[in-house]
Amino acid sequence: MYQYNDIDQTLINERVEEFRDQTQRFINGELTEEQFRPLRLMNGLYIQTHAPMLRVNIPYGLLSSKQLRMMGHIANKYDKDYGHFTTRQNIQYNWPKLEQVPDILADLASVQMHAIQSSGNCIRNITCDPLAGVSADEIEDPRPYCEIIRQWATLHPEFSYLPRKFKFAVSGSPKDRAATQVHDIGLHVKKDAEGRIGFEVLVGGGLGRTPVIGQVIAPFVAEEDILSYSEAILRTYNLFGRRDNKYKARIKILVKETGLDKFKAQVDAEWETIKNGPLKLSPEAIQRVKAQFTPFAYQAPASTNAVSSPEHNSGPFRQWLKQNTIEHKQVGYRVVFLSLKSPTQAPGDITTEQMNIVADLADQFSFAQIRTTHDQNLALTDVLESDLFPLWQQLSKAQLATANIGTITDMICCPGLDFCSLANASSIDIAQGITDRFTDSAIDTGNISLKMSGCMNGCGHHSIGEIGILGVDKKGEQWYQLTLGGADSHDSRLGDRLGKAIAKADVVDAIDDIVHVYKEQRTTNETFANTYQRIGIQPFKDKVYDNH
Amino acid sequence: MTIIKDKSIIDDAWHAHQDNESLVDNSIVNLSYWLENRDSLKTCQQALGLLVDGDADIHSFKDDLSCFAIIAINIPDFVDGRAYSLCRLIRNQYNFTGEIRAVGDVLPDQALYLTRVGFDTLKLENDESAQLAINKLNDYSVRYQID
Ligand code: SF4
Repeated sequence: MYQYNDIDQTLINERVEEFRDQTQRFINGELTEEQFRPLRLMNGLYIQTHAPMLRVNIPYGLLSSKQLRMMGHIANKYDKDYGHFTTRQNIQYNWPKLEQVPDILADLASVQMHAIQSSGNCIRNITCDPLAGVSADEIEDPRPYCEIIRQWATLHPEFSYLPRKFKFAVSGSPKDRAATQVHDIGLHVKKDAEGRIGFEVLVGGGLGRTPVIGQVIAPFVAEEDILSYSEAILRTYNLFGRRDNKYKARIKILVKETGLDKFKAQVDAEWETIKNGPLKLSPEAIQRVKAQFTPFAYQAPASTNAVSSPEHNSGPFRQWLKQNTIEHKQVGYRVVFLSLKSPTQAPGDITTEQMNIVADLADQFSFAQIRTTHDQNLALTDVLESDLFPLWQQLSKAQLATANIGTITDMICCPGLDFCSLANASSIDIAQGITDRFTDSAIDTGNISLKMSGCMNGCGHHSIGEIGILGVDKKGEQWYQLTLGGADSHDSRLGDRLGKAIAKADVVDAIDDIVHVYKEQRTTNETFANTYQRIGIQPFKDKVYDNH
Repeated sequence: MTIIKDKSIIDDAWHAHQDNESLVDNSIVNLSYWLENRDSLKTCQQALGLLVDGDADIHSFKDDLSCFAIIAINIPDFVDGRAYSLCRLIRNQYNFTGEIRAVGDVLPDQALYLTRVGFDTLKLENDESAQLAINKLNDYSVRYQID
């Protein structure tokens, strides 16, 4: 993985000191709340319901075991012994003290981590496919490009006061596992006829109040031009994006109001003037970063049936193997997902103890690296098949082997009313209700993506869930709007509204009804999405609203 | 108000022209005044500056840049980042070689980015904030971007 050089390290150290000074001036009353706000946000610090919330970047979802141990250390020393993984592959701490944040940042810097631009109206953490580098269908590992873009975007002097936040996602495979269609800029690695690497560029996607699927602005931008092209888009957005209304300030609105063709013409005109300038990447510059993402030294498998001895016939192990592990491009290895959706924890939450255990297991079984996923789980991506059984045993002991990846209980869920000051409704207790109801039947039901947000901002990506749940406020009471049929893979689709909002006490029953209709109507092996497309929304409506 | 340039406090050689007063040497006129009086102003002998807002349309004055010794860009609110891109355009695309000055709501914490995108001088609220801005220019010894 990418290792910092002196420049990288100096930069984040200096950022820590800059923020220490800003925090101190705020505490001393030399900076007003209004002045401090964007400055602290640009360093990942929100003021939430109970306490500040600090969001720490995990660039493209890749962590070393040493870094994960530091995440655990921070949770223990400055927080309540746990952290929360987000849909953008980052980690959040819900209880740090403002005056301690500079020390947390210094601890992070000691393991090459930071919170720079994890919030605020600037370019956020660059995310990518959590299976980058290990999936068989990959055209090219997207991580070196994420790192190149990360460096360009970090403390960018021109793009730190944008109209609104700005998110990049990069996918290296034809099957999009990075939700690039719902990012401000989505990049798909492509190869042209001569085999040159480049990107299909999507612009203007996003969730939130007005969910929009991104559109192709350029079918192929060569790798050496990706920074200049991105700069052209950002400059156009910075100059023309709306600043009069926070809800209309994302680039998706600018693209919509300007029209894609005209917007593209503006970007191209700008690009023309900078394309051959200093932002052009040399082959050496690209290679320097790529050299830091070389494949591991995989072993040839000792036997072809590494998981077939009698001890492996335990039902729970088999179930876990089927549900929580997938193929690796290297024969003899598998990718293992660690579910952070156990019945005893809020979705995405992880304790210090668990972080330490995962770090140890990564050292032992997976080249000392850990991935974070968009589904708020973790992955050990390079596990020898013969190690699966001992790994499973240890994960089980740590409540990290719930065999539910991809099922309805593996739901995405924002912190909601319990932690977020913007929330209309709680999400964690609904998640708990769903987990309780479906734990026994989840695998039998088959994979269903359920996503839940506590308000329109859509941090829980409800609008692209096969089942989406959105918290709404009705005269001070918590209600929930359901949507069906959303998708977040290569064919992103926004869910359709089921009908009027549902009272809190009835939400779990309504989900049960929806699942019931699916199970009743599906043909053999038919996915939820396919059944939904075939039978439409009406049968679900009838069942849910007739019952309530 | 205090002006800084190259990490020092300097005297302000420029006078902010008001629409109803007569023109003196070293006046900064605002964009609407310039557009209304362009023909006569172009022939005047005084050194001139132009004041534009951060959201100004560059096409309305890009052809006149050579008439000015200074372009002042007004930042209405420190979170409004348009001035940064506008400055880049004036400097890099329209090759303006005179002074570019940031005025309006400028935080000392923004001094480094402002100078990096091409502002030569910054107008701060007072000597104290100007001194702080100068200190802030020394916060970083490295950068990722080639400015
Ligand atoms: S979706 Fe709303 S409630 Fe949930 S975390 Fe985002 S802003 Fe908060």
